[in-house]
Amino acid sequence: MTTKKQLVYIKGTKDGLVLRLDDQCAYAELVEELKRKVSDEGIDGQAEVLLQLGNRYCSEEQTKELIASVHTSPHLRVSRVQSDVISVEESNRRILERQSETYVGIVRSGQVVRAEGDLVVVGDVNPNGKVIAGGNIFVLGRLKGIAHAGSNGNKEAVIAASWLEATHLMIHEALEIMTDELTILSEQPEMECAYLHANGFIAIDRLQDLRLLRPQLSTFKGGS
Amino acid sequence: MGEAIVITSGKGGVGKTTTTANLGTALALQGKKVCLIDTDIGLRNLDVVLGLENRIIYDLVDVIEGRCKVHQALVKDKRFDDKLFLLPAAQTTDKNAINPEQMKELVTELKRDYDYVVIDCPAGIEQGYKNAVAGADRAIVVTTPEISAVRDADRIIGLLEQEDIAPPKLIINRIRQHLMKSGDALDVNEITTHLSIDLLGIIMDDENVITSSNKGEPVVMDPTNRAALGYRNIARRILGESVPLMSLEQERKGMFSKLKSIFAK
Repeated sequence: MTTKKQLVYIKGTKDGLVLRLDDQCAYAELVEELKRKVSDEGIDGQAEVLLQLGNRYCSEEQTKELIASVHTSPHLRVSRVQSDVISVEESNRRILERQSETYVGIVRSGQVVRAEGDLVVVGDVNPNGKVIAGGNIFVLGRLKGIAHAGSNGNKEAVIAASWLEATHLMIHEALEIMTDELTILSEQPEMECAYLHANGFIAIDRLQDLRLLRPQLSTFKGGS
Repeated sequence: MGEAIVITSGKGGVGKTTTTANLGTALALQGKKVCLIDTDIGLRNLDVVLGLENRIIYDLVDVIEGRCKVHQALVKDKRFDDKLFLLPAAQTTDKNAINPEQMKELVTELKRDYDYVVIDCPAGIEQGYKNAVAGADRAIVVTTPEISAVRDADRIIGLLEQEDIAPPKLIINRIRQHLMKSGDALDVNEITTHLSIDLLGIIMDDENVITSSNKGEPVVMDPTNRAALGYRNIARRILGESVPLMSLEQERKGMFSKLKSIFAK
């Protein structure tokens, strides 16, 4: 038998401690070692810990167990868990979420158009028509129906339209009913975008401001 | 081989039956052989509007269920020699008595003998609507300048676009010039851009439509009537002619305005 490999490395950085876990050994062994390590070390005071899993895939329960193991020491708190691998399922979901789907035509009353990622509608969305997207919604036409962006939990999602006079707007879980009393509505809702403001409410601004509001939206890589 | 046209609207009371009766009559007046089918089983009234109520012997359900031949159930309108026929709906059962496949078969059979088969669709989007649309080659959506009717038209257009038929055309019925001009009702342009389908024609609101329906004579038979002119224009457009859209200006010339125009010269 070779000399026993160290399964848990502890490293100090200026942001706190880093616990790097071996990604080749058995999981049970790792948990045991981790528990021993966090209780053995003479750590005092409070420290934030970054948990690095390396190339080990951990299910949600396993991740929870690892965090719980670290928390057996009263001095340590896990701030973040980092893993170099994700499941194929998760990867596919992320690809879908980044994809953009295009619908050409009019979304009429009673129709629902759904997309996992971004949704581009070339045409109007009529009253009682509904567009739902995991990502952003862009309407090249009049948005007069219901739009729900970021339906999978993306709070950064936006809804932009050539003419934004929707009856209902939803971003993540925030809902705005576009009644006449609403002060954010303009007389001529031409070229506008809706986004989730830091205060948790949906705000509407000119489309030109989107560049500043959501700089990460632009994926354009070329020179300007 | 003729063509089957379904007249639909989604909302009730916008004038599907009146439009069917008048359009069918107008096409017959143009010399085409026309068969009208009432698919509003349980609530039939196309026969009443045409004044053919007491000539009904068999009905649509009798034909479908094989109790009679199609030609036995067809009611001939004697005012137009062998040009206009009606296949009335049954009154004693409901819309589930027939299914879309049977309807399709029947319409295909009728298309062999008639130039136009005009199908009057019941209100709603359930079984009755599905039956009516099943055999159609093209669809005409009727709406009025009211938001509620336009909403329902939008819904029905969405459903029609999923069917295997030509893009639907629009008729705006019951237009009141003074309301449209003052902006109190949706105007023709607004409705067509909202629904974004081709406009087939507009029909002015006219009291004679009601009185003539009650008499069992479609208003289109009166050539001087404005609503009748609208229906005649639509019939000509269906036949492929290009007819300019009627202007909204009312040419009502009373005694006073006639005098005024004389003195103005």
